[in-house]
Amino acid sequence: MNTAQRLPNGACRGLFCAAVLLASASVAAQTQPSAAGEKWQFGAVLDAATTSRALELGGRDKGLQLGHSDLTASGPLGRHLRAQMTAVLATHDGSVEREIEEAWVETRTLPLGLSARAGRFASQLGYLNQQHPHADDFVERPLLYRAFLGGHWNDDGLRINVTLPTGLYWMVGAEVFRGHRLVAESDPPVSGAGAFTLVTKLGGDINRANSWQLGLSYLKSRRIAALEDEHSDAEGEAHDHDHDHHHHHGAQFGGKHTWLVDATWKWAPGGNNREQQLRVTVEAARVTGINRFASASKRHEALGLAAVWRFNPNWEAGARVDRLRVAMPHEDHFHSGRLNEQALMLAWKPSHMQALRVQFSQQNGAAGFENPARRSVALQYVLAFGAHGAHAF
Amino acid sequence: MVPMRSDARRPRACAVRRVLLLGLGVVAGHASAQTIFACEPEWAALTRVLLPAARLHVATHAQQDPHHIEARPALIAQLRAADAAICTGASLEAGWLPTLQQRAGNARVQEGAPGLFFAASAVTLIDPKPGAGGNPFAGDVHEEGNPHLHTDPRRLLDVARAWSTRLQQLFPQQQAAIAQRSAAFQAQWQARISAWEQRAAPLRGSTVVAQHGSFAYLWAWLGMQQVADLEPKPGLAPTPGHLQRLLEQLRAKPPAAIVISGYQDPRSARWLAQQFGGRVPVLALAATVDDPEAPDALGRWFDQLLDALGRR
Repeated sequence: MNTAQRLPNGACRGLFCAAVLLASASVAAQTQPSAAGEKWQFGAVLDAATTSRALELGGRDKGLQLGHSDLTASGPLGRHLRAQMTAVLATHDGSVEREIEEAWVETRTLPLGLSARAGRFASQLGYLNQQHPHADDFVERPLLYRAFLGGHWNDDGLRINVTLPTGLYWMVGAEVFRGHRLVAESDPPVSGAGAFTLVTKLGGDINRANSWQLGLSYLKSRRIAALEDEHSDAEGEAHDHDHDHHHHHGAQFGGKHTWLVDATWKWAPGGNNREQQLRVTVEAARVTGINRFASASKRHEALGLAAVWRFNPNWEAGARVDRLRVAMPHEDHFHSGRLNEQALMLAWKPSHMQALRVQFSQQNGAAGFENPARRSVALQYVLAFGAHGAHAF
Repeated sequence: MVPMRSDARRPRACAVRRVLLLGLGVVAGHASAQTIFACEPEWAALTRVLLPAARLHVATHAQQDPHHIEARPALIAQLRAADAAICTGASLEAGWLPTLQQRAGNARVQEGAPGLFFAASAVTLIDPKPGAGGNPFAGDVHEEGNPHLHTDPRRLLDVARAWSTRLQQLFPQQQAAIAQRSAAFQAQWQARISAWEQRAAPLRGSTVVAQHGSFAYLWAWLGMQQVADLEPKPGLAPTPGHLQRLLEQLRAKPPAAIVISGYQDPRSARWLAQQFGGRVPVLALAATVDDPEAPDALGRWFDQLLDALGRR
């Protein structure tokens, strides 16, 4: 029972203390019989794509590359806890990179709609951040995520959520993270908790055919990127750093305060979403407090609108428009940066285990970005083996 | 405390509830009746028989494919409110129920809690495929067996018995009443099974083509035989190549009917029926009860199924 007591004091530091305690509690909990029939599940996802030209701020290089491919194990730790571990493989800058993307324990039996999670996991910020990128409707994440959250921000921390006992779905959650996977090198250096989030989601059904969700998220970062990180060429710089933050790069543009709003509406005739469904998502973000030289008017902003139409159980078509406006720090002043992106995609999904997607993207209206891709075509194939987590709305 | 029927109070309570919700989500009280979350309408109908006063949340309806439900916010809120939940199990809800459980944060309906009941745990499933899952090219294989067990009224009786026992454990104040309703249902349902079997005797030995194994238990009960599936692999939509092969295979001995579920696209079935020159009817059967709140919803659904099969 008292596994935690045997740990040396030094192993229990900062916000990891709780994570370690929770993990050791889970080991103790494992001695209790788990629910009948509830088993550990294992799965793997292969995500491969070939791209004619890398997109500015994109996560995929030119040519045939391995995307966000993962191995996942998830299951019960007794009746009160659940755990998940995900290891990711991806190619970046010509080499295969591995990392542990998720390793967390979560409670299942707290009262009052509460749940807590500890370990490494993706922040629940925004509509998309929590989702594994291989489940996305487009080959690349929206510009908003690529610019402000390093594509898919996962970090080491703690989460507490409460689902309120209301007729409409209403969730309020708080997270605290180390933040070193958001901003690898902070100036001035920050120890301990570097990023805090507050998220609330509200949603419901209008009728059988229509459902909606609204989200409001706030991210407070104590970690402000060192200046040379912020302004240097995004691709060249990754080689120079250690491999702690390899294919993530962390956020390209950040600040003290990030506000995110997201709205999603889904329509399926008669509620039978397997046959046909329209999904529309709008997300907007504003980042302020860019660095110590920034006045209140200096900020980053991003806006994205995506619509996907499943017109047959096996086919989906989608369009997305993204807009990014940033204030690029340059010593004690700022250059304004602009980038627009449009994407069209068509996906064939012969089953929910496979997807073949072709996507046309273009970037325009660029200022301050060196390599906008006027046109880029990508072909992506996603294949899932074994168990894969159920998807959220 | 004597449980009250909540129906009479509902309209006003509902309006008050809305106001409270809008004004920062104060908890709306519903102290008297239990709240039951049913993953599928057939289990809601069964719950209505055993707990007539319960507040019911039904996650799906007859016009939806129960394998492909999204973990919508509305469903999370419903599961959050539940005192107990009844689902099919056997991985039918594997794509959505775990997310609902995780987001709802409701300890009463987590795995292993007495408030979570799986109908599949009360019966033997047909067609188990141990170790066959996980292959992305094999379709949606349910290792535990075919989950569409509610189309067998005899298994429904087993589920009713087990669910009644569970409800009595969960709500001991109502134990006697639940036991009494359960016994009445058992007696009445047993008699109807005999009547249905008698009525469906002429169907014995007839062959059908169906889309998916949705009615496999019905065929087994009635002694009918499903000779082919419009799906090339379980859970995958029919393809022209597969339909062409079926046509070759069945040309010599066409089936008595081509059966689809109400929520399935009828075009593949119609195309195949046309190839047989109009001699083979397409039957779109309701995959489950249409309105679980209607009196005798389950009995009337079986009546409809037998009517449709007898009429062909």
